[in-house]
Amino acid sequence: MPHVEVLPNSATQIAPGWTYVVDTGYDPSKIAINPKNKKRAAANPNQRGENELSSRQQTAIARRIAELNRDNDPKQIISIPGKTSIPKTQNARRIIQYQRQIKHWLDDEEAQLALVQQAPLPRSATTASRLAAQPLRRTSTVPPTPSELTPAPAAPTPNKPMSSRMDLDDDPLLAIDSSMPLPISQPDLDALLSAPPLSYAASHVAAPAPGGPPQRHFCDNCGYWGKIRCLKCGARVCGMECKDAHEATRCLKWT
Amino acid sequence: MAPKKKAKASVPSQTLVIDNGAYTLKAGLVSNEAVDLSYDDCSVIPNCIARSSRDKRTYVASELAECKDFGELAFRRPVEKGFIVNWEAQKAIWEHEIMGADAGTELWCEPKNTNLLLTEKPNCPKELQKNCDEIVFEQFEFAAYYRCVGGAMNAYHSAFLGALPQECLLLIDTSYSDTTILPVYKGQLLHSAVRRLTVGGKLLTNYLKELSSLRHYNMLEETYLLNEIKEAVSFVAPTTQQFSKDLERTWKGRLGDKRELDSSIVLDYVLPDYEQSVHGYVRPHDPAKSRMRRGLQPLQGPREDLLPLGNERFAVPELLFNPADIGIREVGLPGAVIEALSGLPESLRVAMLANVVVVGGNTLIPGFMDRLEGELRTLVPSQYLLNIVRADDPIKHTWLGAARFASRPDLMKEALVTKAEYDERGSTWLGKKFAGGDR
Repeated sequence: MPHVEVLPNSATQIAPGWTYVVDTGYDPSKIAINPKNKKRAAANPNQRGENELSSRQQTAIARRIAELNRDNDPKQIISIPGKTSIPKTQNARRIIQYQRQIKHWLDDEEAQLALVQQAPLPRSATTASRLAAQPLRRTSTVPPTPSELTPAPAAPTPNKPMSSRMDLDDDPLLAIDSSMPLPISQPDLDALLSAPPLSYAASHVAAPAPGGPPQRHFCDNCGYWGKIRCLKCGARVCGMECKDAHEATRCLKWT
Repeated sequence: MAPKKKAKASVPSQTLVIDNGAYTLKAGLVSNEAVDLSYDDCSVIPNCIARSSRDKRTYVASELAECKDFGELAFRRPVEKGFIVNWEAQKAIWEHEIMGADAGTELWCEPKNTNLLLTEKPNCPKELQKNCDEIVFEQFEFAAYYRCVGGAMNAYHSAFLGALPQECLLLIDTSYSDTTILPVYKGQLLHSAVRRLTVGGKLLTNYLKELSSLRHYNMLEETYLLNEIKEAVSFVAPTTQQFSKDLERTWKGRLGDKRELDSSIVLDYVLPDYEQSVHGYVRPHDPAKSRMRRGLQPLQGPREDLLPLGNERFAVPELLFNPADIGIREVGLPGAVIEALSGLPESLRVAMLANVVVVGGNTLIPGFMDRLEGELRTLVPSQYLLNIVRADDPIKHTWLGAARFASRPDLMKEALVTKAEYDERGSTWLGKKFAGGDR
């Protein structure tokens, strides 16, 4: 997962007798003693932004995505049938015997990156910071040796306008020079070509921009529009029938 | 450059080209200077080891074709998120299909007399690349080897241009593990602009599995079946507006105000029972029959289990365009393309958009290309030419590109590293060379 956020949790540290809690300005225990507002908390729109999710929901979503994206079944170990050939070197034996999963390798990669960059970028690097980091990477790379440069035509202008230029070359009305983008300069191109690969985590696309279309909500049970929010867990349902089914099966209240 | 000239002289003339996908591996032998390569030269083999708890048999790769009962079939896949992770399983599959004694004649080769061209996904962790290189030379002992990002090989399709790869190519690879966007300039990947979406075919299958299990039967162990169902029924809604309309058409109605399901969009999938039938099939929804399904099946005669499919048909592939629908915090595929291009200079952007090629199994979902082109067109400035095509065979296309690369001795001569060089210089040097740092 490229996008990591600090989940809003209630207790940060547990010690005997007392506990640190995040001051959210809302204390359910006090409200319960002296209620100013008779309406239930979940119905109160000021309590939580319309699209903000509770930590429990966020955890549930993260777990669900990880589950949907899982490669191999963790419950079952399938052994290789028949006799397998013997590894030829010690090194090959070591690699063949690895039982690690991809997430271990990716975590390793992250840890190594953090080591290399003295001030490690947080994994939650947004697009902006990633884009900002790119020029840094570019300048830090060694310029390629001339052997890399294929004998290219000077400027890689797009092919499309070229064909229309053939016969009507000097007609000013058909001139497209003004609408053509500036050709890329050779140093820029070299920098682009020699840029090192991003890490796996950094290669993911960014989250949608906040100004974009609002998130769509679907019924947790039947997949129709989720017009109603479950008061107990915040999931969306479409109507009474699905609400009952939801409470019987997936409602997070009991998890 | 200087010290490797001698070793180059004795490179074998045939090359094994493997596009080692997570779901299927695409492989074929290509001889030096082969001229008329086509999709037919490529074998598509399931890249998995499957274990059936019913007939207690383990199926390795292509043996899966012999399987008659896919119920509760469990899979072990050596490739995770597109990268070869488990070499024990991958070695068993390669040996079974390619180098082993009982491998089919078409693919069989002796690694010592063969070059290997192996493709990988972009952004592979370096440690995994190193493992891969070491296994190729130390375990399999190929004569020479080149590992590269598969997508970039698609620049080598144009036959008539002779030696030059396509100048600008924007490749969208929407495959089993994930979806990647690869800008390629003259056959070289522009690494800083590569972008990846979490959603791939695997996630779609698992999502359909989850939905069907919640709404109808418990099918959590039936990965194979749900993948078949996904391939049979799913489609991409042409626009967001049409998505809303379709969602209305598949709505069951309120309590007390039930609607008949629209049989022009709702389908019934007749599930296989693995006694009479191995594969299920689709037919339009029939309310009478699905009422019968609830306990009123005739004792004699054919019994059938139906899985009704309504909004699952289009809500599942919709994740490619709106990953936020299930809470994945990423933009959809068209937005991802724009994001990938945003880091490039304008002249490259224009040229890339004029040559967009889409490959990968998800492109076979009906409606995918129309939706992608439609949404991309609205995001791209109107004065830019947008030319987007799906490869003729989106599964084998990358393999064919790699095969065409392998059939060109001039290109291969530059790219290949021989075993002698590896033995002399080691895997760290090799990793740097393939990453382009040593040239």
